[in-house]
Amino acid sequence: MNYVIALILGSSFGFALNKAGLTKYNKVVNQFRFTDMAVLKFMMTALVVAMIGLYGLRGLGLITFPTVPATYIVGNLAGGLIFGIGMALTGY
Amino acid sequence: MKAILKYISKETWSPYVAGILLGVVGVLAVWVSNSLLGASGAFENLAGMIGKAVAPVAFDNLYFNHIMPPGITWGVILLVGVFFGGLIGAATSKTLQWGKKGSTNSDMQWKRIFGPQTWKRWVLGFFGAILLEYAAGIAGGCTSGLAISGGMLLVPAAFLFIAGMFGSGILTALIIYRKQY
Repeated sequence: MNYVIALILGSSFGFALNKAGLTKYNKVVNQFRFTDMAVLKFMMTALVVAMIGLYGLRGLGLITFPTVPATYIVGNLAGGLIFGIGMALTGY
Repeated sequence: MKAILKYISKETWSPYVAGILLGVVGVLAVWVSNSLLGASGAFENLAGMIGKAVAPVAFDNLYFNHIMPPGITWGVILLVGVFFGGLIGAATSKTLQWGKKGSTNSDMQWKRIFGPQTWKRWVLGFFGAILLEYAAGIAGGCTSGLAISGGMLLVPAAFLFIAGMFGSGILTALIIYRKQY
């Protein structure tokens, strides 16, 4: 059952990415050139909607947060720096 | 109803609308499955599975035993869904080019910068993806698993990651595009 949910959520995720145009090289790299702001608009909208939903639901006592990604400054930052290179090269 | 169907068949949505959809998916993932959306971890789960079958000694380490245990996890199934979701998205906007010649290198901008050869796209895609997966391993997640899923839980790691990603992404784009930046 959990796998069925994962499949449904996954396809909605892929669908949203496709429709936002994030499956295209030019969309991703043009964000870094600041000629097309779609990536930031998409990401930040998703963040805001999910923040409101998650913190609202937690406030109502309906959910507990899963284990959050760990924060270790050097790792997160260094990972991000390498990630950006790959992202600008491939557009993934 | 007709307007909705017409909007679904559009190739590119407003990023705000698509973003709302992703936000709702992110909330549902936590609410229904108590999981976070992620992509890079699933590749590591699969790599661990293959590695343990092929070279069990090399893969018998802390990382693959405890941090990223191999197996068909929730994330792997999610990734299968992402593949089909993208496929459905392209099919609804009639841009699906399954098996068509040149469809693996159809981005005009990419061709203009790196040249029209398809093998270049494959080689750069392969090595670029190694960088992505390696970086995601260091940071503890990728754009979806750390930046978006972590960001919506207001985890500091996510914002550090986004800062690094944009810093080097801008720099790389600057180097590649030079005067055209």
